[in-house]
Amino acid sequence: MRDLSLSTAIKLSLFAIVAASISVFAPAYALQQVAIAIAYAIAILGLNLLMGYAGQICLAQGTLFGVGAYVTAILNATYGVSPLATLPVAAAVSAAVGLLIGLPALRLQGLQLAIVTFGIAAAFPQLLLKLGSLTGGVSGLPVDAPETPGFMTDVPELWLYLIALACAGIGALLVSRVLFGDAGRALRAQRDNPQIAQALGVNLTRTRLWAFATSSALAGLGGGVFAIVSGFISPESFLAILSINIVIGSIVGGVTSMAGAFVGGLFMVFVPSWASDINLSLGNLIYGLALILIMMVARNGITGFIEKWISMIFRRAAG
Amino acid sequence: MNDSSIEEVRPVLQARDVSVQFGGVKALTDVSLFVRPGEICGLIGPNGAGKSTFLNAATRLVNYATGSIMLDGQPLEGVETRDMIGRGVARTFQNLGIYASMTVLENVMLGAHHRLGGSFAKAIFAPLRARALERSNREKAMAVLEEVGMANLAARAAGSLAYPLQKRMEIARALAAEPKILLLDEPAGGLTHGEVHEFGALVDGIRRRRNLSILLIEHHMGLVMSLCDRIVVFHLGRNLAEGTPAEIKSNDAVIAAYLGKAA
Ligand SMILES: Nc1ncnc2c1ncn2[C@@H]1O[C@H](COP(=O)(O)OP(=O)(O)OP(=O)(O)O)[C@@H](O)[C@H]1O
Ligand SMILES: [Mg+2]
Repeated sequence: MRDLSLSTAIKLSLFAIVAASISVFAPAYALQQVAIAIAYAIAILGLNLLMGYAGQICLAQGTLFGVGAYVTAILNATYGVSPLATLPVAAAVSAAVGLLIGLPALRLQGLQLAIVTFGIAAAFPQLLLKLGSLTGGVSGLPVDAPETPGFMTDVPELWLYLIALACAGIGALLVSRVLFGDAGRALRAQRDNPQIAQALGVNLTRTRLWAFATSSALAGLGGGVFAIVSGFISPESFLAILSINIVIGSIVGGVTSMAGAFVGGLFMVFVPSWASDINLSLGNLIYGLALILIMMVARNGITGFIEKWISMIFRRAAG
Repeated sequence: MNDSSIEEVRPVLQARDVSVQFGGVKALTDVSLFVRPGEICGLIGPNGAGKSTFLNAATRLVNYATGSIMLDGQPLEGVETRDMIGRGVARTFQNLGIYASMTVLENVMLGAHHRLGGSFAKAIFAPLRARALERSNREKAMAVLEEVGMANLAARAAGSLAYPLQKRMEIARALAAEPKILLLDEPAGGLTHGEVHEFGALVDGIRRRRNLSILLIEHHMGLVMSLCDRIVVFHLGRNLAEGTPAEIKSNDAVIAAYLGKAA
């Protein structure tokens, strides 16, 4: 048990060092990109709980992210609510929508559920266009920049970055509260063997619905942060492919890892553009090959790969 | 009925005329069985006799077509599978019901899930209380592991244990549920002759310390005969015999059923 808290402490300090160095060394534009990556990371944190721990697939995480983004934008642009105050509402509304999506999950198996949720993701952008009076249609909605504290007015991007980071911290805290306790054990139990879980008193229905709600709340929170950091949203940001990209981010980062969610978010934002930087006409090819290579080398995602190496080095060193 | 004579204690578990059917296969036909408080009742019979099916019916993992099963005088019809453990019925599985990727301690802590409830809301919104519960649950689970002599293995992945230890861990998990009655499906599987003796002493100790009722399915006759107060025999999905170990040992129908199987 002491080892566990020690390794958690090491991970947290490492995380703090990385987060602080980014804020010091990254140029303003890159800082905003990182903040967007963190917004995705919040959605991935939720998806990791759902996919990695509850064993349920959801190909509509980008839609729930979009719902959160639009709740923030509508509340801010139409009703003048201050951007940060919209975030809890964004999380709550997405959680409610996620519960609705979770209902078919009680009856459907993995593959069918994948198709049903992807259907939702495919329909979402056009739904946004149809509800133009609410969503601003193709032209989208602007979101006010949150008021930047006086000493930071030179670099408002830094403030956005810190907001994203704080929201991710809250998200990670909530997820860890669920995972490291009885609820987390019940989640894993129903994933690995539902029948035995039932014999142990696990309420499969309730556990799965809570997993969907929690995961969706985080998607909504991430979406709200995305809207604030971007300053403007339109249906184009929430196409069906976003849900696939979030799943890819989750798996590439490591589907049962909290640190993996951040790796996944950064991957989503930076790797495709790096791939095009290498060669504009071969960007997709390079990106695709990178995905294939990562999965060949690191089955448990990038963080799983790193953890495996670190524990191997430690074991060597221990003799 | 409370007007029965004082000597006649109400059984913890009482099944009457229970039948279970899988498609066209009649796995159980009108079987009856009871377990008294504090008693170790053996359930034996040749392979395919329906012993495990009876356990599944008594824990509501399979439905029974006819008959009734009562727990402390309360009928089980309509009770959800997941509510059985909370009503005091804990079990182990013939082919192991463990979580291989979890640690031994986590497996055992799952035994108390029915008391903790696994509430997401509590975990998220009342973290201090959730953490205090988690701590006391962990201490209780460690005490149970101590009781079965596995405390030193608490941090091991359950899947990395030898088969007999996995079975023993499953018993510890059932004990962590603090049940009234324990249903064990071939718990001594994989043990050598010498180990079986020690295992019998362990089960007997558990029963005495906790004043538990136990229904024990076991093929190891030496263990069954030495441990059980009473034995029920199933054959081809029906009741064949019932009595003390001595009576069962000399029962011609039982001997024939087992010899018939061997022949
Ligand atoms: N889920 C099921 N579906 C179909 N048939 C089943 C099922 N479970 C058990 N049976 C059948 O019911 C009968 C009784 O099986 P059961 O497992 O209860 O016997 P058992 O007495 O536990 O045997 P063993 O000593 O081999 O464990 C067998 O004929 C078996 O094939
Ligand atoms: Mg059996």
